[in-house]
Amino acid sequence: MASWPESTRLIGKSIPRLDGLAKASGRAKYPSDIRPEGMLFGVLLTSPHANAKVKALDLEPARAMPGVKGVIALATAGETNVIYQGQEIAAVAAETEEKARDAARAIKVEYEVLPHVVTERQSTAEGAPKAFAAGNSRPGRAQTAGKPDEAMKGADATIEATYELPVITHVCLEPHGLTAEWKGPDSITVYASTQSVMGVANDMVETFGVDASKVKVLTEVMGGGFGSKFNADVWGIAAAKLAKEAGRPVRMFLDRAQEHLIGGNRPSAKATIQLGATKDGKLVAMTAETSGTGGRGGSNFPLPYVYHVPDRTRSHTEVFVNCGGSRAMRAPGHPQGCAVMEAAMDDLAHKLGINPLEFRLKNLAETDMVAGGINRTEIYHEQVRRGAELIGWGRWKPRGQGGDGPVKRGLGMALHQWGGGGAQDKQVACIVNPDGSVELRSATQDIGTGARTILAIIAAEVFGLEVGRIRSNIGDSTFPPGQSSGGSTTSPSMAPPCFDAAVKARDELFRRIAPGLEAAVEDLALKDGQVLVKGEARLTWEQACRKLGMMPINVVGVFAQGLSSTGVGGCQFAEVTVDVETGVVRLKKIVAVQDTGLILDMLTWRSQVYGGVIGGLNYGLFEERIMDEPTGVMLNPDMEMYKLAGATDIPEIVVEAHDTPEMRARGVIGVGEPPTISTAAAIGNAVANAIGVRVPKWPMSPMNVLDALAAAEGKA
Amino acid sequence: MKAFAYLSPTTPEDAVKALAAPGTVEALSGGTDLIGRMKDYVASPERVVYLKDVKALAGIVEKDGATAIGAGTRLVDLVSSATIRDRLPALWQATTEVGTPQIRNMATVGGNLLQRPRCWYYRNGFGLLAMKDGKSLVRAGDNRYHAIFMTDGDALFVNPSSLAVPLIALGATATILGPGGERTVPVEQLYRVPKADADREQTLAPGELLAAVTVPAGVGKNASYEVRQKQAHDWPLVMTSVHLKMDGDSVREARVVLYGVAPIPWRSEAAEKAVVGGLVTRERAEAVAKAAAEGAKPLSNNGYKVALVRTTVKRALLSAVGDRYWQEG
Repeated sequence: MASWPESTRLIGKSIPRLDGLAKASGRAKYPSDIRPEGMLFGVLLTSPHANAKVKALDLEPARAMPGVKGVIALATAGETNVIYQGQEIAAVAAETEEKARDAARAIKVEYEVLPHVVTERQSTAEGAPKAFAAGNSRPGRAQTAGKPDEAMKGADATIEATYELPVITHVCLEPHGLTAEWKGPDSITVYASTQSVMGVANDMVETFGVDASKVKVLTEVMGGGFGSKFNADVWGIAAAKLAKEAGRPVRMFLDRAQEHLIGGNRPSAKATIQLGATKDGKLVAMTAETSGTGGRGGSNFPLPYVYHVPDRTRSHTEVFVNCGGSRAMRAPGHPQGCAVMEAAMDDLAHKLGINPLEFRLKNLAETDMVAGGINRTEIYHEQVRRGAELIGWGRWKPRGQGGDGPVKRGLGMALHQWGGGGAQDKQVACIVNPDGSVELRSATQDIGTGARTILAIIAAEVFGLEVGRIRSNIGDSTFPPGQSSGGSTTSPSMAPPCFDAAVKARDELFRRIAPGLEAAVEDLALKDGQVLVKGEARLTWEQACRKLGMMPINVVGVFAQGLSSTGVGGCQFAEVTVDVETGVVRLKKIVAVQDTGLILDMLTWRSQVYGGVIGGLNYGLFEERIMDEPTGVMLNPDMEMYKLAGATDIPEIVVEAHDTPEMRARGVIGVGEPPTISTAAAIGNAVANAIGVRVPKWPMSPMNVLDALAAAEGKA
Repeated sequence: MKAFAYLSPTTPEDAVKALAAPGTVEALSGGTDLIGRMKDYVASPERVVYLKDVKALAGIVEKDGATAIGAGTRLVDLVSSATIRDRLPALWQATTEVGTPQIRNMATVGGNLLQRPRCWYYRNGFGLLAMKDGKSLVRAGDNRYHAIFMTDGDALFVNPSSLAVPLIALGATATILGPGGERTVPVEQLYRVPKADADREQTLAPGELLAAVTVPAGVGKNASYEVRQKQAHDWPLVMTSVHLKMDGDSVREARVVLYGVAPIPWRSEAAEKAVVGGLVTRERAEAVAKAAAEGAKPLSNNGYKVALVRTTVKRALLSAVGDRYWQEG
């Protein structure tokens, strides 16, 4: 079993990311900024209809437009059935973006428009048009443990409620796309905004039949993917085809409206839950009927979530709609499962008259073992205690005691969990040159998480160098195979081979310089840019490397057991105010407590948690894809009516690492996903605590809050 | 974006000439509305007349107690004007909440007043009234941001100007230059309710140019209160501006104007009537707010706006007399 150094100089400290200044100052060139010589602008023509047959397609008017250098069809007349607004019809490449747009509009498409269903309500309504051959929805089989109906009868208190979360879209700051440049007839270089340079390279190999050795995909930096950018996609392949046709590089990135329509989304969720407990606060049973839509794809989510419900049954119905399909989004499924479970937990605690924090702790499984012999239940207890301190849970009051004025204050909380383990088959090359420069190479990429920096930190730790001395060369598909960045797997997949590579390179350096130093290899060490012999500085790093002569060290590191693990937990607390006369929710503070094993760079780790919380608060307060039932179009495919937090909407966020010797001993675990899971749930619970009424629909918008208050008043 | 002819006159006279040319003409100032519509092909003018080089249109001038604001004045200049802040807080408050700093640095008073509706059917290319086969898409679809007054008609969008509301409350007039010379109308007469898609919701004739708005002397207590979902860049859901001329502590004359509830800036005569002739207490403000909401006929999704009418009217009134009860505690 390999292990990380016991004491570290760099690992676990707060180290600024290597490309931070370039990014913050605008000098970093993102894939969408790349402009190879002679580049053409590509534009995608997409369907305005949600359900239609393509009867005729005439590209000639576009070809005749000035500046147009290539036009290709992405649909076939008489064959293609469009099943959502935004489905690709054709693509154009022209000298300017404006010319390409005008040309795309000039393409003549004749549609036979068919009746559509674009919302869950519309899809499942009585007499709804049959928009999908296999039916508009697909009920799942009930998954049952124990005898929930019988157990429910033994409950002292039960709640039954329906909770709903909307579809939200990906809204990556940098849109999906790539620029394709052919270097001769059988060799292609692609600048892609991707989470997987290897995935995009593979798509090019398979589509064009070129040798893998002649495909190079580059992603120096990129502007966010969150699970939606693993492949070249229809538009990326179109760019490469147009580039081939025109004999010039072609840039094809989606526009903002297309991003919303076809760039991927998180499925909706609706859950009707009955949850019962004994009067001393032990859950006894749950029955849940859930549904959701991912377009034509799945929408399932974990339920029950986190808590132990001995007897339970749950069935999930997939609802299909004529909308762009879902893609993996940061912790797929978990935020939905967390929100509905935690809402039900809170509502039941309220009914029982039990502090919801105590109620949660009482209902964790006795043992919840994750990798490395860790009982996550014990971790949760510690995390909740710490989070409660940081938010000031001592101030918690039962619902409806949020204050005398119209602006009510409330506290809420939620727990979450994730895997975060890595792959065991990835590689990192480490090159130590005679001039003392050090380079790491791997075909992984930094999607904004700090991957480049953490690899450099690991190597710098081993070599006793400053982090800035390491060239962390990733985002190139021709390098040794690296991890696709999804599922919080990048760090746990890449850190072990990186460490292995650096250790191997160091050992080879020692072997090669030891004779000249008349020292034994085991007497050598590296520290502060010096080579030590039996603890005494003898050579600088540069002097040592010069002794390599003309022959650099070039080694490949692989996975080693003991350096990474999986299985994490966390909790979040929210403090809000809700103005009951306006329905406006303002966040005052969010506390996020998280464990993820050994933290490599505290600064990028914290940044990940901030980002997760901000994503989660957008889900809690603002985001919603709004589809129009009469026309089948998305009404808010922009960044104006599709609401996202601005700087002034972000509250104080307290990030707390559950960073103990026991956790560090587990090795590296990814942190990308877990901290986005429970934010929306905690906010929903804080709102209910403030106003004394459950707002059953996310986001917590003035409309949804005021509607819930009005409904409660109507009932009273 | 369709190709267009571009003119940048430097005098009001030349601007009028340029605007009066035949064909479809759009005036461009800050560009925060027009450019977006052109990129989305919602507007495809043959000619665009850029007005920011007409320096005579910009600036704030005090004269005989009146405040004249050039149509080309940027919103950031209104926000940084001590006169506006101290004398016309209703206008100042509404202006500070428009868009973002970047937008306020570009956008102008005239552009804010004459921007086209944000209705998502209109912006998605379904026309100003969004009628299809004789039926209203707004009525059948998602109308959470649409009107709750005048909803018997076909125009269900809401007027998008945050500045029109306080300006109407303050009794401002608009100076309009045209081929036939100059005319002056109350700001509220810049707007009308269109009957057909081809109608404009604005009354300026082809070739006419909004030159300035003037708030007359003798301004009373005034305030605005806006409800919006986000604190950063967002549109008001509902906003109310009030203007109260007082006899001692008693209201002699009042204007109560609302944003976000009708296809025109909505003057609530019921509220104005209810507030005149007494003190502005919390109790009376509540009663006035109730009067303001009477007659609202929400659409299928926007019943919540009725509560926002009550709240914004109440809070704007109380704010005008210095009572911000919602900030207590």
